This record gives sequence, structure tokens and C-alpha cells, in this order.
Amino acid sequence: MSMTRRQALASAGAAAIAGGLAKPAIAAKDPIPVGYLPALTGPSSSTGIGINRGIQLAVQEINAAGGIDGRQIELITRDTQSDPTKAVNGAAELTRGQKVSVVFGPVNSGESLAVVPLLARTNTPQVHPCWVDSLTDTQKYPMCFRNAPTNQQIGGAANRYVVEVLKRKKVAVISDTTGYGTASVNAYVPMLKAKGAEVVYQGNVDAANPDLKAELLRMQSAGAEAIMPWSVNAGFLSRIINTRGQMEWDVPIVGQTTLGSGQTKALLEKPEYWAKVYPNNFRTVCYAPGGKLPDRTIAFLDRLKSAKIDMGDTLLWWIALGYDSPRMIAEAMRNVGTEPEQVVSYLNKLKEFPGVYGDISFTPDQHNGYPDDEVVMVEANSLKDGAFNLAPGYSA
Amino acid sequence: MVESIVLSGVAIGCIYGLIGVTYNVMFTASRVFSFTAGTLGMLGGVLGSLFIVRMGMPVVVGFLLVLAVGALFGIVTEIVAVRPVLKSLDQHLYVLSTLALALMVQQFTAIEWGTESRPFPRLFDIARGRFDQQFWLPMLACAAVIVSLELLYRHTLIGRAFLAIAEDTYAARALGLPERSLRMASYALAGVIGALAGFAGGEMLLAFFGNAPLLTFYGFVPVALGGMGNNRGSVVGGLLLGLFQQTANFLVGGIFASVAVFTVFIIVLLARPEGLAGAALQRRV
Repeated sequence: MSMTRRQALASAGAAAIAGGLAKPAIAAKDPIPVGYLPALTGPSSSTGIGINRGIQLAVQEINAAGGIDGRQIELITRDTQSDPTKAVNGAAELTRGQKVSVVFGPVNSGESLAVVPLLARTNTPQVHPCWVDSLTDTQKYPMCFRNAPTNQQIGGAANRYVVEVLKRKKVAVISDTTGYGTASVNAYVPMLKAKGAEVVYQGNVDAANPDLKAELLRMQSAGAEAIMPWSVNAGFLSRIINTRGQMEWDVPIVGQTTLGSGQTKALLEKPEYWAKVYPNNFRTVCYAPGGKLPDRTIAFLDRLKSAKIDMGDTLLWWIALGYDSPRMIAEAMRNVGTEPEQVVSYLNKLKEFPGVYGDISFTPDQHNGYPDDEVVMVEANSLKDGAFNLAPGYSA
Repeated sequence: MVESIVLSGVAIGCIYGLIGVTYNVMFTASRVFSFTAGTLGMLGGVLGSLFIVRMGMPVVVGFLLVLAVGALFGIVTEIVAVRPVLKSLDQHLYVLSTLALALMVQQFTAIEWGTESRPFPRLFDIARGRFDQQFWLPMLACAAVIVSLELLYRHTLIGRAFLAIAEDTYAARALGLPERSLRMASYALAGVIGALAGFAGGEMLLAFFGNAPLLTFYGFVPVALGGMGNNRGSVVGGLLLGLFQQTANFLVGGIFASVAVFTVFIIVLLARPEGLAGAALQRRV
């Protein structure tokens, strides 16, 4: 049978249309690739290990409940090993090789400082929990969202506690030499001064330094009335606490959340050295003065217990933060679709997403979604099931 | 303040000095600078914590096992990373082979042990004091190693054999000395010393995989300061480094302390390239 050119073109067109129509039907059942850049190993991995437990649980729950409109979430993980270079390599592979729809992480600021500009260039929506202020910018990184506090919020809460509640005016601020540590000191020292405190010691110290007595003696001789350490390295923080204990120096230590982690506790020479240590934490995952957690958090704890998730060596807020991130993205994708622009347009209007870690809200001009009043200080030695008592001076 | 500088400076200096001696013992037997010296120190701390804290072994058993594993790692280093490159010493391939082995062991430790610092046990159940065991244990270990090496090298036949191959390998072999066996024994001895350094300094350094590059780096400084192959020079160099480092920590603090340490190190090497205690090489013309 002969075929005219017009018939051939019509057949080809019909086949193309049929093929084009069939494709979305198959794609609709494909998993949604979601990139994930945690630090599961390396010296700054304690945060990532905790967050990972929450993320894995949330993805399991979403997929077990049928996924997003029938599509499963496929979490594609690249361990950054606490190394910015490896984080960049992982991000490049996730966006160019795996073509992920969205990226969670990195979970440490040092790695995010390297990754955020890269993801912005590839137009990939990103949700990260890193605190360094410059890691969100609606002009430079319009697809990047932070579902955690900024350094300004964290430092603001710690500084307020030292100056206004503890009434200490001479302060020592110390950090390790990571991107997070140095950026924190640079951000908090001017904030402390603006509150009327005198920063009598300011230093960035190699976290591997085995003996910090010299640093603490310099603080003491400068007249410091409070020590504010900013590091996620449990070894570094425990050396500060142990040295204070050895010196029998009765001065409060107020600062980074890792001060209260299980890894830090394991390295203390004496349990009593943990007294008068007040790390940052978050009201939603803390015991109020009556010893009660918020209802939403109690329900989450039950879910963690039934999933047999270990909390003995980590912090509840890390798991809660990890748990909230995929749920927030899943909500966006369910409502508007999985295309990057659709996800971003939904997040830009997100109002009080009910996370366990906190209610998250964004606007087109504000991609820092964590509420100020949820950032609090706690008593490190009150750690129970990954949660703490609010520090003295806070009301319920 | 002075007491604190001296105590911690001497203690850390002893650990650096012992790692320097580890470099030297391997160097004298093979003319190779094995960059596994710091890894041995790291293993001393990690294995001590593993055997005593995690596995609950008695301190003495844990200690002896740590030394045995150190000796074994020394022998493996000689077989895997040193022997294959001995024929081309002038190409300095040992830098690559020993660094590669050190990195492999470090990464394996990170994967199996974890990347967080972990506690090292109190070896003696005595109350903490100013002159605590975390300070005097490295000093004791350093003194014991120096005295033992002196006795070994000066008063035993095998020690003299070590010196003979260090002095002239070909002549020693011509005289019938088992050069390969002696080299392996030297590496085993270096393994014991390196592991002992990490074990004695475990309470200060904690059981942490990241101590390997720290000790590799700071342990090399005393070798350069004290003169290559000179054990007493290494210990003196280690003590000077520890004391200067702690003094710099007190005076300038933070990252500036490291800058001060390496500025002085470079100045010393510019002034005396052969090290403070080393003899200048005579070149025959």
C-alpha cells in the first residue's frame, strides 16, 4: 500500500502525540527524586546523625501512606563527611546527574556556604537548617529556604540570657575554626556589645587542640563572667567544660546546642561539670517548668518510640527538625506539583506549617521561617529522652 | 599560669617527642620517613579506649594488646609501604606509599570507630590533682622509652646491630647481619613506641581518629628541630615545641598560636637546616 507524504506526516504526528500523551502516565508513577546532603560522618556529624533519623522516619511515613499522589519519595543521599568540598561534589551530582526535584541540606553551615550558591545556579529548590545568616537571600538565592533559626536568632537568645537573665556583663566568646564557628563569633560579638556587654576575650581555636587551659586562663584573667562557646564539635566543647571544672571556676557556659548533646556528656570527666551549662534549644522540644512537653511533641515522641528510634545519643530537636523537612516539601508537592517553580511558589506563601520543631512561615521576601520566641536556653544536665528543662528564668 | 604552661607543655611535648622518636626509629633502619607515625599515635588512643572502655578488658591486658597491635602495624608498614620502594629511595616514593597507608587506616578507623571524640579511660583509680596522671603518664612513657632505647642501643647485641644497619646498610649486610629482619624489628619497635605515645596521651588527646594528622604533623617538627635520626634531639625538640606552643596559647591564643609556632619553626630551619642538634652534612668533593 502506498502512502502519500501528507499521510506519512499525519501518522508521524499522531505517533508523536500518542507518545507525548503516554509519557506523563508513566512518569506519574515514577518516584520523586529528592536530594539529601547530610554530614553522616566527619567531625561535625553529630547534628547530621540526629537529623537523619527524623528525615528517614518522615520519608518512610510519607511513602507508607501512599507517597505524593501515588508517587514515592526517593531519597538520594550523599554523605558530605563534614567536608565542604565533598558537599559541593554531592550537590553537583544530585542536580546534574540525578536531576533531583529538591535538596535537603547540607546540615552544617560550613558545607552550606559552599553549596547554596551552586544550587541557586541550577535552579533547584533547597531547604536547609543551617544558621549562618548569609545562607538565605531572596535576591541571590530565591529558591533557598531555611526551616531553622538564623545565627541572629540563636545568638540573640543566648546573648539575652547572659546579659538580661544572668546579669553578666563581661563575656568570653570562643569558637573552633570552622566556617560556622568563625561566622558565629563575628556575628555575636557586635550583638553582645550592642546589648551593653563587654567582650573581654574573643578567639577562634583549632578544635583538635588537646589543652584549652591556656584559653580559659586568658578568659579568667580578663575578668570573664560567662563563657559563650560556638562549635558543634563535642570534643572541643567537652574540653572547655572539663577545663572550667578542673579550674574550679564558677562561671556559666552559655551557647551552642551541642553543649547538651550525649557525645559531649560522654566526654565529661565528672557529671557535675555539666552544671551551669546552658545550651540553646527550642521551646517546642523542651520540658516546661511543670515537666511537660507540648502535646504535638508528646505525640511525636510516641511515634519515635514505636519506630524504635534511638534518642540516647542525640537531641530531640535534631530529629524533629529532620522529621519536619520532608513533610513540608510533601505538603507543597501535594498542593501544587513537583516542578521547582511550583514548590517555590507554594513555600513563598507558607504560613505556620505545623512542624514538631516549630511553626514555619515564609514570604517572598523572607526565607527565614523559624519564629523568634521559640529559641530558648536550657539546662544541659537535665537531658532526658533528648529533651531538656528550660533554663532558670524562663516561664512556661 | 607558669605551672600550667609547664605541666601541659611538657606533657604534650613528650607525646610529640615520642612520635618524633617513632619517625626516627623507622628512619634509621630504612632511611625512610614513614608518615604512619601519627597514625600509630592515633591507634594507641583509639584501641586503648576500644579494649578497655568498650570491651571491658583490664587495663594491663588492654595496654599490652595496644602495644602488640602497634608492633603489628609497624611490621605491616614495613612490608606494604616501605619495602617495595626501598630500591628507589632517591625518588621519595615512600612519601606517597606511607601517606596512603596512613590515610587508609585513618579512614578505616573513622568508619569503624566513628568520627566523634570518645572518652579514654582513667588508667589509675586515683583522685585528680594538679599533677594529674594525664600529665605525668606521657612524661613517664617518654622517659621510659629514652632510657630503654639507650640501654638497647648501647648495651645489647641486637641494639648494636640496629645501629650498624643505620650507619651503613651495605657494610652491615656484607658482615652477615640479617638486614631485612632487623628492619622489620625496627618497624615493630617503632610501632610499639608510637602506640605507647597515643596510649599515654589518651586522656589529653581523647580517642579520636583526627589525632592522626595532628600527630603526624606536630610529631615531625621535633624530628626536624632535633636532627633526623637523633632520638634525644627529638625529645628535646618535642619538649621545646610543647612548651612554646602552650606559651603561645597563653600569650596570643587561638589560631595565632599555631601561626607563632610555625613561624618560629621556619626561622629555626632557615638558620639551622640540619636542626638544632643535628650535624651539618659533609659533602665529599
